[in-house]
Amino acid sequence: MDKARWHIPITVVLLCLGIMLSLQFQAQTRVASDLTFQRTETLIAMVRSLSEKRQKLALEITDLGNQLRSQMESSRDEKKLLESIYAEREKMRIVNGTTALKGPGLTITIEEHMPIIYTDLLNIINELWNAGAEAISLNEYRITSHSTISVAEDAYHEDGYSIFMTVNHEKLEYPIIIKTIGNPNNLEKGLTLPGGIMDNLALFNAYPEIEKVEELELPAIEKPTSYYFMKEYKPTEKDKEKTTKTTTPQEIINPLKNIAPR
Amino acid sequence: MRKFILPLTIVCIISSFFLAFQLKIQTKNTNFDAVSQKNANLINVIQNLETEIENQENQIETMRNQLNEIQNQNNKGKLQDLQQEIIHAKIEAGLTAVNGKGIIITLDDNKEGLNTAPNDDPNKYIIHYEHILNLVNELKIGGAEAISVNGQRLVTTSEIRCVGNLILINMTRIAPPFEIQAIGSPKLMAESISLGQLDLLKAAHYPVTLEEKEDLIIPAYKGELQFKHTIPQ
Repeated sequence: MDKARWHIPITVVLLCLGIMLSLQFQAQTRVASDLTFQRTETLIAMVRSLSEKRQKLALEITDLGNQLRSQMESSRDEKKLLESIYAEREKMRIVNGTTALKGPGLTITIEEHMPIIYTDLLNIINELWNAGAEAISLNEYRITSHSTISVAEDAYHEDGYSIFMTVNHEKLEYPIIIKTIGNPNNLEKGLTLPGGIMDNLALFNAYPEIEKVEELELPAIEKPTSYYFMKEYKPTEKDKEKTTKTTTPQEIINPLKNIAPR
Repeated sequence: MRKFILPLTIVCIISSFFLAFQLKIQTKNTNFDAVSQKNANLINVIQNLETEIENQENQIETMRNQLNEIQNQNNKGKLQDLQQEIIHAKIEAGLTAVNGKGIIITLDDNKEGLNTAPNDDPNKYIIHYEHILNLVNELKIGGAEAISVNGQRLVTTSEIRCVGNLILINMTRIAPPFEIQAIGSPKLMAESISLGQLDLLKAAHYPVTLEEKEDLIIPAYKGELQFKHTIPQ
């Protein structure tokens, strides 16, 4: 009788154990993109890029603090306000590509015989941004967030059929020269990393030529970007109430306090 | 005695089967233990950095909003044209939240496919950064004016990359399911991706959806724009 009493609990416990273990297995496949499942090299790479990002963010906060202060004191010190506005405008012009630029960096030359397709160009440019590029151009076209890279078919070609790569819907002529401004060593490292984009291209026997250049000139975008659909989002009074509730007033004042006057 | 030995044996067999299965999975991910302590420390460092970065980004967002507000107010007088120019430039650069007509695309790993073929290469079933990169490019070809992926606004210098099997945008980890929002002509954008990456993903049985929206809000870029090597001319 005694034995009969405890065999039910044991069954239940063991069943639970089995179910839990199988659940555990399921959970494992689901969180596979979690940090715990990364290799040490991956984690080290993460730490490195996050530290870099933190430094840059700190600089950005200093810049913004200066701009805010000069805007707030605009009535007293108009010269300073002008300076800060010019600094801000310069940044915007670099990002939006509305000014030609000079600086050190890399050129990457792609010849017509190389088996490189438009997605490779996308990847190279993406890799350059990742390696800290500050500006990029593709032949005479400056790359911005609105730039497009694609392929098109030349219907009037003498052979009757020919495809070519395009940037901003314009034909890309060979040799294709990618110019990029930034720290030349970092940029080169980003491209030539083992298992990186250049290794990938080498699998297809494509060897674009990379050259470090001390001073490069990048063109501005050809025509101003126009947009019809998006407009600045202005929260309605109701939305504002919601957002102010989540951020305490102290947080909003703090940024200025943290910055020592020059 | 005999009454419960049979069920107990069965249960034990089932349990040990689960256990063995579990162990088999574990051994697949070998050399975890040897480096697990080191990894745990690194994960700790990463998480601290991520928290700190999140705070910095929130601070930047607050400051940029303040700046926008002041600039909108200081919009009169001598510097009017300049301030106006900057407000427009910021919208173009992605430093302000924007709204408008557009589409939302969602992508996820093909979990069903992976479960039905557990011994197949899992790379065939997960979303890779290149899928997102191509989709984004095709959205731009379709005239997208503003794009965000899982809340990360794409600006000129944004990269879409992977480290290990993590996908990072603007150096921020993003996880499936992925939600790509784009403002622009819904028809043109949908056409562009349907001729390309979206249909490829559909053909490979990834769960993807495409939805038109009358009004989308795309958040501002919260990151840095620091230029140390460029000299404007």
